[in-house]
Amino acid sequence: MKVSVFWGCRILTSQYAYEMSVREVFPKLGVKLVDLDENNCCGDPVKSVNDFAANYLAMRVLALANATGLENLLVPCNRCHFVISGAKAVVERDEKYGEKVFSLLKEEGLAYNPNVRIWHVIDFLHDFVGLNNVKKVVQKPLRNLKLATHVGCQIIRYTDLGRVDDAENPRKLDDLVNALGAETVDYAEKLDCCGAALLLSHPDSAFSLAGTKLNVVQGLGVDGLVVSCPDCGLIYDAKQKDAATTVGAKLNLPVVYYTQLFGLSLGIAQEKLGLNLNQSPVDKLLSKVSP
Amino acid sequence: MSLTDLMSMAKPNLAAKDKILQKIGDRALINCFQCMRCTSGCTALKLLELKPSEIEKLASFGFVDELASSDIIWTCVTCLKCAQRCPQKASPYHVIIALRNLAVEREAKVPEGFLKAVSQILETGLAEALQKVVSRKMEAFDREGLGMPKVNLPRESFQAAFMKAMEEKIG
Repeated sequence: MKVSVFWGCRILTSQYAYEMSVREVFPKLGVKLVDLDENNCCGDPVKSVNDFAANYLAMRVLALANATGLENLLVPCNRCHFVISGAKAVVERDEKYGEKVFSLLKEEGLAYNPNVRIWHVIDFLHDFVGLNNVKKVVQKPLRNLKLATHVGCQIIRYTDLGRVDDAENPRKLDDLVNALGAETVDYAEKLDCCGAALLLSHPDSAFSLAGTKLNVVQGLGVDGLVVSCPDCGLIYDAKQKDAATTVGAKLNLPVVYYTQLFGLSLGIAQEKLGLNLNQSPVDKLLSKVSP
Repeated sequence: MSLTDLMSMAKPNLAAKDKILQKIGDRALINCFQCMRCTSGCTALKLLELKPSEIEKLASFGFVDELASSDIIWTCVTCLKCAQRCPQKASPYHVIIALRNLAVEREAKVPEGFLKAVSQILETGLAEALQKVVSRKMEAFDREGLGMPKVNLPRESFQAAFMKAMEEKIG
């Protein structure tokens, strides 16, 4: 089957490992990804400046997804997923507001279609593909790994928008990790935010939030932390050293995207999954995975 | 700068309050009964002293001018816990976004990062510029070097449409 995909700025401009691993893994499940003809920002940083313009940007993404003629749109970024879901809710609730947005879209020959369904990697794999089908394709179960998961904020809150998982007790990412044969642990700070959104205004506080959680997860004695959002990936992996300096801790926690982990269990070469790009010490984790 | 100091001499601005109410639509901050669920779970409380319940109360009193010019509205990390947990559907997150929009409209002090993102979008369509990344072995890669497809950027007409959308005012 074919599914259109909107990556969002963070993935397209720096979190290449996430994109590479999604592009490798999805075809193995019989899913062909179709890129949109154009990529514009989903509107996330614009929300704080002009909420209407942000909603326009998000609706433009949905209109571009509609132009592919496909019913399902994959949005692997948590923030994009939230902003697009929020814009959809506003235009569907407020007719006048919707008309204003639609007329802007029309100027470019674009049209919104309410039937395009928005998926994140997590619910697409868990609910659409199904856990059993995920288990079926696994070739190299990751039996030696004990991992912690970090779901992130914006795919689970707030429920009124229809989110990917339960707001207070999200289980799907853990289920998906377990489906690959790895063990997961629960911990009290699981719902704590990574802080990446503060990089725009209060970077020290962002690093402090990230470092505090990384320190807790490291203390659990796990082999690594699994993420599914490019913002969480950025701050926990690429900026782990900054986070460590800010909280005055010695951090060396492997951080991987779920799709990188999935790719490993499918026997895909590490470089194809962008595992050479992770800045956290993932070699420790990789040495426990059978080649 | 704490908000209590800011408002000690302040007068409420009810017209601005109406703008905020209109902006947040059906999420009526008027329903807030100060249960403090938002503040008790707020990610930005410990580090940056953001108290969403205080924002709600001040906004409903009409101290919108003070809020819009305060640094405190820019400390929200948008984790959405308050939007999720508010029993009255008076989501402080939505109030904070509306206040930020008002601050921009009034040309108050806005963190540079947000405005930079907007100009980047105007320029390329994306909020960030394409970056080279470095592997753990210190080799530099761009998308092409990684064998990744080129990024499809928006057509020319996008810029004008986005600028038109940016003209929309709050309330």
